[in-house]
Amino acid sequence: MNKKFTLLFLIFILASVATIAQMPHDAIYMPKKTVCAAFNYSNSSWSKYWENTLKRDNPNMGIHTTQAYSAMLSVGFSNKLNAILNLPYMQTSTNAGNLRGQKGLQDASLWLKYKVMDKNGFSLHGILGGSVPVGSYLPDFLPMSLGLQTKTATTRLLFNYYHKSGLYATAHGSYIMRSKIKIDRDAYQADGRVYNTNQVAVPNATDNALRIGVLKQKFQAEVFSESFSCTSGDNIRRNDMPFPTNNMKANVLGFYGKYQPKNIGANFRVSQVVSGLNVGQALYLSAGFLYQFDFSKK
Amino acid sequence: MKSSNLYIFSIYSLFFSLFLLVSCDKTISEPVRPAYIPISLDENAGSWKTYIMSSAEDVSIPAPLSVNDSSFKSEIDSLKTFYLAKLTDKHREAVSYWGAGAVYRWNEIARELAAKYNLAPAAKADGTYPVPDAANPLAEPRFPFANPPYTARALAYLTVAQYDALVSAWKYKYKFNRKAPAKLDATIVPLLPVSDLPAYPSEDAVVAGASYTILAAMFPGEIPYLKEKLTEAQSARLWAAANLPSDLRAGEALGKAVGTKVMVRAKADGMSSANNQALTAGFIDAAKARGIKEVWVSQESPKRPPMLPNYGAVTTWNFDKLTLATIRPKLPFVVTSAEFNTEKAELEKINKSQTHEQAKIASFWSDGAGSYTPPGHWSREAANLCFENKFSEIATARALALTSTAMMDAGIACWETKYYYYTPRPQQFGIKTSVGLPNFPSYTSGHSTFSAAAATVLGSIFPEKAEILNAMAKEASDSRVFGLIHFRSDCEMGLIHGKKIGEFAVNRGKNDGSKK
Repeated sequence: MNKKFTLLFLIFILASVATIAQMPHDAIYMPKKTVCAAFNYSNSSWSKYWENTLKRDNPNMGIHTTQAYSAMLSVGFSNKLNAILNLPYMQTSTNAGNLRGQKGLQDASLWLKYKVMDKNGFSLHGILGGSVPVGSYLPDFLPMSLGLQTKTATTRLLFNYYHKSGLYATAHGSYIMRSKIKIDRDAYQADGRVYNTNQVAVPNATDNALRIGVLKQKFQAEVFSESFSCTSGDNIRRNDMPFPTNNMKANVLGFYGKYQPKNIGANFRVSQVVSGLNVGQALYLSAGFLYQFDFSKK
Repeated sequence: MKSSNLYIFSIYSLFFSLFLLVSCDKTISEPVRPAYIPISLDENAGSWKTYIMSSAEDVSIPAPLSVNDSSFKSEIDSLKTFYLAKLTDKHREAVSYWGAGAVYRWNEIARELAAKYNLAPAAKADGTYPVPDAANPLAEPRFPFANPPYTARALAYLTVAQYDALVSAWKYKYKFNRKAPAKLDATIVPLLPVSDLPAYPSEDAVVAGASYTILAAMFPGEIPYLKEKLTEAQSARLWAAANLPSDLRAGEALGKAVGTKVMVRAKADGMSSANNQALTAGFIDAAKARGIKEVWVSQESPKRPPMLPNYGAVTTWNFDKLTLATIRPKLPFVVTSAEFNTEKAELEKINKSQTHEQAKIASFWSDGAGSYTPPGHWSREAANLCFENKFSEIATARALALTSTAMMDAGIACWETKYYYYTPRPQQFGIKTSVGLPNFPSYTSGHSTFSAAAATVLGSIFPEKAEILNAMAKEASDSRVFGLIHFRSDCEMGLIHGKKIGEFAVNRGKNDGSKK
């Protein structure tokens, strides 16, 4: 019964929402006084991972899968300023071994995107993002943890060139500040020493990307390359588990597509980690439904 | 237009404050341990009962120079002109670090090494597991694999060596009765509080020498690091103007000699055959003959040989092997019985819906791979209690030796029980875990046994804390049910067993001559 109600509720939400997919990493804006609601499912899985630089598998985990169900809301405050809210419910699991999967709400994030300049197809955008943990998940039961329990603040500069043919190229660079966290233990090992405290310093990170694609009225298709990289941190020791202090790096290649004939639309993303450090070689798939509300006519 | 600008402004301000919140700093604050004058100097500790040494004067040291001797006066002068004159911030930092106490810091170092080496060897391509090689400690897999039994043993020998060496040091201190330099020359202003305890030989150097000898044997890959610590620990005493070079020389030699004697016992205690995997087939047959229907099977892939199956045969400290068999817990029931099904149902319920509180407790006491293990956890509790109660070096060493030998006994007796019954883990019945699964039989719980033994000993030394300590042991025990890797009776019987084991150390403590 409950599931039915949830489904009905989702359909109701989807039916009353509209679609201009815009993300914290693109140059697309919701027009003034419009709101876009989106529901997104993603599935990220890996069987190989980098333990420090050693690429290995682990028969005690088999395939590790993270599924996320995200509710997203984009708001057009003006044609130049948008806000994006996101809250994922996550679930981790493995298909071998005996590590208990975790599930629950992860971190809520809020992004603000502002168009600083737009001339002859060239545009420059300033983007600020912040996230706070919402769920009370364990941060140091990696790789089963839903997240790291860190508060983050991201500054991002994004350049875009859009040709009237529909072709575009986007590049961004970002710096992610991550707060120290508290774990449920009062001592832990990192950097080859024992810290006699429950406080853990999570390293800051950078996140850069390059995208090339075509954007038309009804559809969008792009290929992208992304790279996430901690600015410091230690490595997973031989045959140890990961820890929030790890220097995690991942280089990703992928495709993104969106089809949005009217107010309602759908998007799809596939990406693959091609190289990394202290992370899983994840294949990421996601699909979303979008619905756009227009309040401007009132 | 204006109002929308204000809107944008407030949103940006909100973000700005978030940035400040996040970026503030990543400084990790750890407990500060300022030096203190002990509540008691334990003047009679030279007559306390030793573990290994036949008497307090088993190792002899030269008599110190008389305070009237001219070379003694030049030694005092060297302290003023050479050490005190050249202090930098780095020196002061070392002085303050070691000021927390020699036994305190060397046990902390031991726990750090345990955490560093507590990683199970990775499987080889052919599905077998390599065994760490003491002769080649830094090659993968590194030696040692400092699992709970290994760490319990390392801490026991470390604290026994520290204790025996300090009993001897106290004997000589009051025999020669040479005061600390600041007490002999009023122009010397030490950086650390200096008590009336005679300074020759230096207790800090005695502990450094003994600790270095044990830890170098237990963690042979760390000898260069330990040498650095050995030098720094003693230099810090000079930089603090708390000891003369002759106090330190005599202390280091005494500590090392006692450490060497203690290592003679360690080399012959049966640890070298603790990992004798050839015995497991016989253990399994014997367990089956005792009525065990379903035996433990490694849940790792590839199957890993069980951890130290013959650790139960290692020599105990506070009771003999006959007693070990007498106090071994009885197995309350076997797989498929009604009681078993009840306990399995408890785990199935947690497996389905572990609460946040249960997850937290399981995590707090997990002390798993990469940690200093449960014996390390309790060693830290013990050291902190001694520090908070301003114990002397010898009283701290005594508390830690009683606790650590009880924990090694707990490890031996628990491991003997585990392989005696060879019972399966809950994971053989479809239960997952939130803490990682140890690779050895289930009954009884090592955490419970270690914790009850330590809490019992510490409760006798700090009676006002006994209730809290017992509650901590109970929580550590429960954590293994919450973490889903033990049945309830594994934990309850482990607690009872551990308490009995702790009582043997308590009795030793009552009769070691420390009572005033």
